[in-house]
Amino acid sequence: MSDELEVDAQVVQGAFTLDAQFAVPCDGITALFGPSGGGKSTLLAAIAGLKKLQRGRIALGGKVCEDRAANVHIPPHRRGIGLVFQDARLFPHLTARQNIAYARKRAPAGAHLEVAEVAEFFDIASLLDRPVSNLSGGEKSRVALARALASAPDYLLLDEPFAALDGARRRNFIETLLATHRKYGLPMMVVTHNIDDATAMASHVVALKDGRVVAAGPFGTATQLPAFRALLDSGDVGSALAADALRKGRADNIARQFWLRADYVLLASERPQAISARNIIKGEVRVLLPEESGSVLVELRTPEGVILSRITKEAAAELALVVGTASWAIVKAHTLS
Amino acid sequence: MPSADELQILGTSLSVAFRAIIWSLPFAIAAAYTLSRPRLPGKIVWDGLAHLPIILPPVLVGFLLLMIFGRRGPVGAWLERVAGIHLAFTVEGAALATAVMTFPLLVRSIRLGFEATDERLFEAAAVLRASPFDRLVTIALPLAGPCIVAGAVTAFAAGMGEFGAVITFAANIPGQTRTLPLAIYTVLQEPGGESEAMRLAVGSITVAMCGLVSAEMLQRWARKRLAG
Repeated sequence: MSDELEVDAQVVQGAFTLDAQFAVPCDGITALFGPSGGGKSTLLAAIAGLKKLQRGRIALGGKVCEDRAANVHIPPHRRGIGLVFQDARLFPHLTARQNIAYARKRAPAGAHLEVAEVAEFFDIASLLDRPVSNLSGGEKSRVALARALASAPDYLLLDEPFAALDGARRRNFIETLLATHRKYGLPMMVVTHNIDDATAMASHVVALKDGRVVAAGPFGTATQLPAFRALLDSGDVGSALAADALRKGRADNIARQFWLRADYVLLASERPQAISARNIIKGEVRVLLPEESGSVLVELRTPEGVILSRITKEAAAELALVVGTASWAIVKAHTLS
Repeated sequence: MPSADELQILGTSLSVAFRAIIWSLPFAIAAAYTLSRPRLPGKIVWDGLAHLPIILPPVLVGFLLLMIFGRRGPVGAWLERVAGIHLAFTVEGAALATAVMTFPLLVRSIRLGFEATDERLFEAAAVLRASPFDRLVTIALPLAGPCIVAGAVTAFAAGMGEFGAVITFAANIPGQTRTLPLAIYTVLQEPGGESEAMRLAVGSITVAMCGLVSAEMLQRWARKRLAG
């Protein structure tokens, strides 16, 4: 109970109402997922103490941060909850080094994170003495992350810190986040609306839509809830699969799990022979879900977890798929990002 | 070359304007910061009060100062009893009158600096464990710094020229409270004083222009820095 971030938050902002209840463990990384305008940033601001609750309670590891009923509101600077903003928000009158030192100076006694160590970890040592206006978007993000880490928070919230990054730099930043989490054991909540990013990072997920939590829990199971699936683009519907489940193909990625899209999974009613795909997983058909588009979403229960496959109605008939039959999922390893 | 008298008058003016700024600066910073808060209750009233010296006749300000800080005024009598300080008809009084008159200029400029500062930077500082006072000292003040200096320079230049309030509250005592505008006024009262008035006017204009130009340069530098 106590080693959780417990949130019961109601915040009214004009016509928008955030009304979110959930609890996630104080270890690992939680993805805060959902479409834009769903209240993700408002929720982070409320957890950090920057927005007062109209009603509700927020507690971190059993320590109450806010409780409207008891009229408790710990101000943000005493919560020990860090927040990395989407727009970095570096102090313009300070250099990168001074920005990090600003946080270091205010960290609680006993937090031994020197600027040099943090800078080396985030590979920003060479730009420490530049004014922050001279930094690129990716550099600003890394300095902002380094600064947040230097203040030694008990919990770190990240509001889509890689929204401005693309391709390799985005993956690079996510890997840095994962490495940060591993090295410093810092629990995090990361906002994203990209399912691949969420899968690469998260052990838990909280999905927010129109200010309400529609799904919350361990990543693998919560992402299979119909309400979560409804948040995804049709082409993104799929399931999380542990990286170990895939025997061959890609060994370069440090992510623990992949998002396996239903469109990229073939089905066979017998064990396939003479085929180039390296990943064939046997499972049992649990659900056949006809979709509006005329295709059928097949849910397979496998030893590796749930796997979804989207096939045509005709294919489903041809394979004589019914609930309970055995089936083989064929995954092309290259389709995994 | 200016004469010894003229130098003394210039010295009095500089000293009065300088003291006025030093004394009013902390109050002006506090007032500007308070007025820059978006959710200040009764903001219109406070704003009006801070700007009052601009629209009141300076003579009236001088008169009000006499009523309050004169020997029989509530504050003046108390100051005399407790500390033996006289303000009316002294150079300190001239500085007080100048401080009151230039206060709105100072507040306006400093407030612009506070308002130009991105409010979101304070949130960023708050989640890095900086208390509200800490944020004021380490974020708000440094970022508004150029505007504070520019406001002080403008107010200083304007304070050099303060006439009505000074002559009413501090009088026009040669060698004590006679500042540049008072000296110009005095020589103009005498026949043939125009050339002396011109000499004093040149000094006055020079100081004022130096002040305005340096204030503008500071503002530009500030804009560039805050845009970063």
